[in-house]
Amino acid sequence: MRGRRNNWAELGILGFLGLLVILSLVIPQLFRDQGVSPLLAISVLLRDTDSSAARQGMEKAADEFGVELRFLTPSGQDMGGEQEELFLRELDGGAEAVVAVPWDPESLYAALLRQKERCPVVTLESRMDGAAGMVAPDNALLGRQLAQTLLEEWDGGEVILLNTAPRCTGVAERLQAAREALEEAGVPVRTEESLPQDLEGAGWMLAFDPAATQQAAERKETEELSLMLYGVGASTAVTSQLERGNIAAVAAWSDYAAGYLAVRQAAEAVQGGSGPLSPLTFSIIRREEIYEPENQKLLFPIMSSSGR
Amino acid sequence: MSFFRKFTAQWAERYRKMSIQMVLSLSFTAVAAAGILLMGISLIWRFSSASEQMVAENSQRVLAQANLNLDSYLKRMMRIADTAYYRVIKNSDLARDSLTGQLSLLYEANRDDLVSLAVFDSGGALISAVPLSLLKPDADPAGSDWFQAASLSMENLHFSTPHVQNIFGDPDYPYRWVVSLSHHVQLTWDGATEGGVLLVDMSFSGIEQVCRDVSLANGGYLYLIDGDGELIYHPRQQLIYAGLLEENNRTAAGYRDGSHVETFQGQSRQVTVKTVGYTGWKLVGVAPASNWLIASPQMFLFGLSLLLFAIFLMAFLNILISARISDPIRRLEQSIKELEGGREDVEIEEGGCYEIQHLGRSVRSMVSTMRHLMDDIIQQEGQKRRSELEVLQSQINPHFLYNTLDSVIWMTESGQQAEAIQMVTSLARLFRISLSRGKSVIPLSDELEHARHYMNIQQIRFKNKFTTQIQAQPGTEELYTLKLIVQPLLENAIYHGMASGEDDGLIRVSARREGEDLMIDVEDNGLGMPPEVAASLLEAERPQGHTKGSGIGVRNVHQRIRLTYGEGYGLTIFSEPDEGTLVRIRLPALTREEAVRRQQGEVL
Repeated sequence: MRGRRNNWAELGILGFLGLLVILSLVIPQLFRDQGVSPLLAISVLLRDTDSSAARQGMEKAADEFGVELRFLTPSGQDMGGEQEELFLRELDGGAEAVVAVPWDPESLYAALLRQKERCPVVTLESRMDGAAGMVAPDNALLGRQLAQTLLEEWDGGEVILLNTAPRCTGVAERLQAAREALEEAGVPVRTEESLPQDLEGAGWMLAFDPAATQQAAERKETEELSLMLYGVGASTAVTSQLERGNIAAVAAWSDYAAGYLAVRQAAEAVQGGSGPLSPLTFSIIRREEIYEPENQKLLFPIMSSSGR
Repeated sequence: MSFFRKFTAQWAERYRKMSIQMVLSLSFTAVAAAGILLMGISLIWRFSSASEQMVAENSQRVLAQANLNLDSYLKRMMRIADTAYYRVIKNSDLARDSLTGQLSLLYEANRDDLVSLAVFDSGGALISAVPLSLLKPDADPAGSDWFQAASLSMENLHFSTPHVQNIFGDPDYPYRWVVSLSHHVQLTWDGATEGGVLLVDMSFSGIEQVCRDVSLANGGYLYLIDGDGELIYHPRQQLIYAGLLEENNRTAAGYRDGSHVETFQGQSRQVTVKTVGYTGWKLVGVAPASNWLIASPQMFLFGLSLLLFAIFLMAFLNILISARISDPIRRLEQSIKELEGGREDVEIEEGGCYEIQHLGRSVRSMVSTMRHLMDDIIQQEGQKRRSELEVLQSQINPHFLYNTLDSVIWMTESGQQAEAIQMVTSLARLFRISLSRGKSVIPLSDELEHARHYMNIQQIRFKNKFTTQIQAQPGTEELYTLKLIVQPLLENAIYHGMASGEDDGLIRVSARREGEDLMIDVEDNGLGMPPEVAASLLEAERPQGHTKGSGIGVRNVHQRIRLTYGEGYGLTIFSEPDEGTLVRIRLPALTREEAVRRQQGEVL
């Protein structure tokens, strides 16, 4: 009886060792199969003014995370409608994730809800319901700090708050926070949804998106206005206007980092492993601070000759 | 400590319950596995060391090549600076000549590598610059690091860290990353010399191209830092600038040339450093330790698979070998167990190696000796018992002798001399046959003769209350039988069947042969007894008594026969109350020779 039990025990030990040998031979094959994963197809819906630095960041992330990017930019007058159309087309076309700088987050979300099969959507700048993440600075804080920078130099007069993208929630958050800070300080404010025709008497202006900042700076330079302009953005155009003194200060963040993080978040969301995103850090940069080493790194991304 | 003791005790308990094969195979396998593991670890360690050394050598080779390329590139830049200085600036009197034309030629010849060439006087005022010639309104060349470095150390060429060129005005505002090479120069004004600074802005892409295509083994990478650890080139430079990634560049600036192992952000990695000549810059090669420690998970699993297979093979062989060693021991143990269980025809195993064969032989010899001893003891006991019974049986009951002699006296006194003579004669014959010269086996004729004389005496004593018939089948009288086996049965028949009965008692003794057996029936028509009483007379457990009713004589006869001839022989009693009793003796039908042979066998 004992002999038979011992025989079973020996057979059990041999079987266990044999199983381990087989497993150790099979597992590498499984790893090998997993090793060759196809590229993820991610579509990127940009606005016309988005910087090349963001694209570079996206391409870097695409290279690192095995992603194939499709960049799409609306070209017509109806930015929101066109973006929604592109968004639906990409979803139907089998995009595994979408990175968008939404012109109208609500309509984009409504379009997403209409789809039978949904995919992760990561937004830049503005928050959107149902999104897998938002890559943006703390918009309210940015608006408050920009207003605070203006207040340091304000010596009276009305401040124009330029809201050129009213449906864009990120811009709206910045504007709202800036308005509250200014009103709290007793500064008279006026909101405009487009650049006023007559800026001759205007003394102060806050713009909350890079396109509006660039347009206002160009108007100032062209019309030689005495306007004190505070804006956002780190594009070459905005930086050159800052250097030329057409903009008093800008709130700038790394578009490269934003692009990189957005694609990384989208890729991780497709693979089911995305986590929460921290707000991007930003700096308020005045003209004389442009060439400080840290600001150089922020404002002038190194455009690699390899395209990364 | 108590846990250790408990563990040890548990193992000791398990060990006691294990078979020898299990102990052998487990021990062999454990030792073999330990050896294989030790060898495996040793091999991995050796492989890792060799791999680490190989990676270090590879990194050093790659860094040496990158250093050569970078050195070549920087030398080219220095040659441009030297050309600008010795061929253009030194040969020009700035009071008369313009540097722009020749500098433009130099720039055009190297425009892929250069962003700008410029000459400043000692106060930072621009003397000449190509391709751009206008300073930005708020440019301050004299306050720039490259200008001050050149002014402070006049003999050397100075290389800056990458920065955005920010002193020349450009309508397109292309912000270019450059590395500035600055050199203190002697400017000639109307024959008089004064100091100045030559600035050569090298395109950052030139350095990037030198470093970009360099790749180290196993996913390693290379980056370039200045003497303070400031990044000049890194394959993920913009991620670092954007704060999404960190590099251990400040620490690497403190490393001397060669390979070092460091832990950064919880990851162990091998860092190889090579200092670039002229500049104090350092090329840093990084190879993740996990990559050279174990080449890949597949390699690790393959090694593990080999290790496990070796252990599996060893375990299999150990089980076979231990089974071969322990099987004879197990069979020997099984034989001994069967022996303990009382089985007599057990074959003792003598297989296996020498020691086990020897053990088997010893056990077999011991068992054989034991069996002989047991047989001897049993035989001696049987002999002793038979002798005792024979002695008892051969003793003449004193009462019988007294009564017989008393009857002879009485008959003599009463003048019945013929009867007295017959009685004495029968008594004498009875004694003679009882003695039989010491033999225990006598012819049936003698045994019946003995019975006849006994009955003669008893008939005289009992005044012919019964008659006796003794007869033997022809051919049986020459057969041999134990002596004195009929007389106790007759005595029993007389005392229990006839003594208290009428005068028509009959006792009949008949002998016949049935096959190989001799049957002797002693039958009476006396009182008889219930069959269950008759059946119990021969039971060995029946309490012994020495009275006439105890049947001890009959039982002794039965035991003598069985002790002599075996269990198949002996007495059988058939009786019915008032019908009589038949006692049947079954014996082997032995001829004289057979009886002699059997008696000799017993003696031996």
